[in-house]
Amino acid sequence: MSKAILIDTTKCIGCRACQVACKSWNDLKGGRATFSETMSNPRYLSSNQYTRIIFREIPLSEEGLGWYFISRRCNHCLDPACVSACPVAALVKLPSGPVVYDDERCIGCRYCMMACPFQIPKFQWESPVPLVRKCTFCADRQSIGLAPNCTTTCPTGTLLFGERAELLKEAHRRIGLESDKYYPEVYGEKVAGGLSNLYLTSVSFQELGLTQVGFRTDLGNTPQGLRGREWMSEVPLVAVAVGGLAVGLHYFIQRRAAVEAKKPKED
Amino acid sequence: MAGKNEKWYPGEGKLTTGKAVLYILLVLGLIAAGARLYLGLGATTNLNDAYPWGLWISFDVLAGVALAAGGFTMTAAIYIFNLKKFQPLLRPAKLSAFVGYLIFVVGLFFDLGRPLRIWHPMVMWNPHSILFEVSWCVMLYTTVLAIDLFIIGLERYGQHKESWIKFFRDIYLFLVVAGVMLSTLHQSSLGALFMLLPQKMSDLWASQALGPLFLASAVIGGMSVITLESLIASRVYQRVPEIGILSDLGKGLGIALLVYFAMKVTDLYARGVAVWVWDKPHFFFFVELFGTVVLPALLLCIPEIRRSEKGLYWTSGLAAFGVVLNRFNVSLIGYIGYRQFGYFPSVIEIVMTAALVAMAILIFDLGMRYLPIQPVAEGVLGKEAAGSP
Repeated sequence: MSKAILIDTTKCIGCRACQVACKSWNDLKGGRATFSETMSNPRYLSSNQYTRIIFREIPLSEEGLGWYFISRRCNHCLDPACVSACPVAALVKLPSGPVVYDDERCIGCRYCMMACPFQIPKFQWESPVPLVRKCTFCADRQSIGLAPNCTTTCPTGTLLFGERAELLKEAHRRIGLESDKYYPEVYGEKVAGGLSNLYLTSVSFQELGLTQVGFRTDLGNTPQGLRGREWMSEVPLVAVAVGGLAVGLHYFIQRRAAVEAKKPKED
Repeated sequence: MAGKNEKWYPGEGKLTTGKAVLYILLVLGLIAAGARLYLGLGATTNLNDAYPWGLWISFDVLAGVALAAGGFTMTAAIYIFNLKKFQPLLRPAKLSAFVGYLIFVVGLFFDLGRPLRIWHPMVMWNPHSILFEVSWCVMLYTTVLAIDLFIIGLERYGQHKESWIKFFRDIYLFLVVAGVMLSTLHQSSLGALFMLLPQKMSDLWASQALGPLFLASAVIGGMSVITLESLIASRVYQRVPEIGILSDLGKGLGIALLVYFAMKVTDLYARGVAVWVWDKPHFFFFVELFGTVVLPALLLCIPEIRRSEKGLYWTSGLAAFGVVLNRFNVSLIGYIGYRQFGYFPSVIEIVMTAALVAMAILIFDLGMRYLPIQPVAEGVLGKEAAGSP
């Protein structure tokens, strides 16, 4: 069965303990906090930062300001674009959920970065021998029966680790219980063919302004690995067709030329 | 006439300004390449997490391969469609194709984060990956082109190796078919690479038909480069340009451009793209579609233009530029406004690309000198009547 994380953003207080836990488990260097137009810190994911909290201030229709905190990390898609893109199968989707990356295989072509709709894989640009880095869903911890470090650290229960099917049920139970608190759709249930992150929000992702950056609302339910696979499934057919056509035309046109060259002599 | 040529291109073994510039570029490129390998991509290029692919992918890989499509286009025309009149263009086309693929391979080597692992796709397979297919096809097709050049070389240097010549003659049709098949596959698959990320780019190019569109424009790129290269070569190596054949090829180029235009319009119409808008991507789109597809197609409809050297220069130049522009549009310009950061190539990126082009010209020149590439025609003015009977 496939594992997932239910991210109930209405419970998040934006403490960033998940970011610290992630850095601590993955042995990533700390960064320097900076001011920007948002409270998010750091401002972007990088090869040194696998998760961060997006802070969103949205003016409410009645009065005041809505303040939302949305945890961003690799979505571990059920049918990931990066896995279908990687030419050397360095990225693999495990049946248990995580999309994992093999340091020894990667050639550094960066097609996964191009292909990922959520712009998750990041490159170690500063290194002369770089690799791709992203959230691993703590696959190493999961393999010894531990939950991902961020979920064990979260003080408010925003991050809930478990079986995807059960978490989906729980998500819909929460929506049913408090329909005025939640936007009635679980982001990640169907989008992009399904994600391993299931987001509960109080307003839609459109309203959060997360339509193109980090999260996307224009993907539909198309599994992201489908396009590459469909193209590749045509390739053997096209190869045989083009090859056959080439040989056939070669003999046919030569024969016709030979026949035509003979004709006037006979007449 | 000879004096004029010598000014910008080598005579017999003389170091001319043109060649000196090429060598200087090559040396600068080698220095840049050393820096790239020693310091890493981040320090030497302007690539970033928002623009993981830059100039090297757009030009060295995508444009290089498209412009090198002349090899397979001519092979198909002559051996499959039996258009024997284009025979004199075949060998230069093969040589330029090989040189184009060399740009691809060397450019890709430096673009990879881990260049020394360039062989990994040979043993580490992912049959679902379009890039995996591209790497195999390019690998095999470059081999086919190398064998082709080897056979051409045998003609001059290995006449006594009769068993070899017989062997290659026996498998020649296989090589032809393999070349055409591999080219069809990877030329279209290079476009299909970008099918995976339609949401990230401008609607103008984010089509599921990118594969066939890339194939069609590669044929255009191939034909226009053959024309350009034949015209330039005849000037440099002091031969009479084969205007007759080239204007026939120009007719084919015009038809290919019209077919490509029809494909583009059908695709845009079917997807309901808002074409008549003014912004940066649209500017490049209009230049591409009207300036480099419609304009040369219309010009090639006029027989006087098709039969003049100048007309052929301009039309095939425009068409070739259009193919390059299309590759930049699909892989870079289509992302303007869809990413948070900008990208403009660094000096090192530009120098290395220029050095690759210089390398290509120098190798092409070597090939023209030492291999029987030039057609045996009445118009040979040079001392050396190229090619063996």
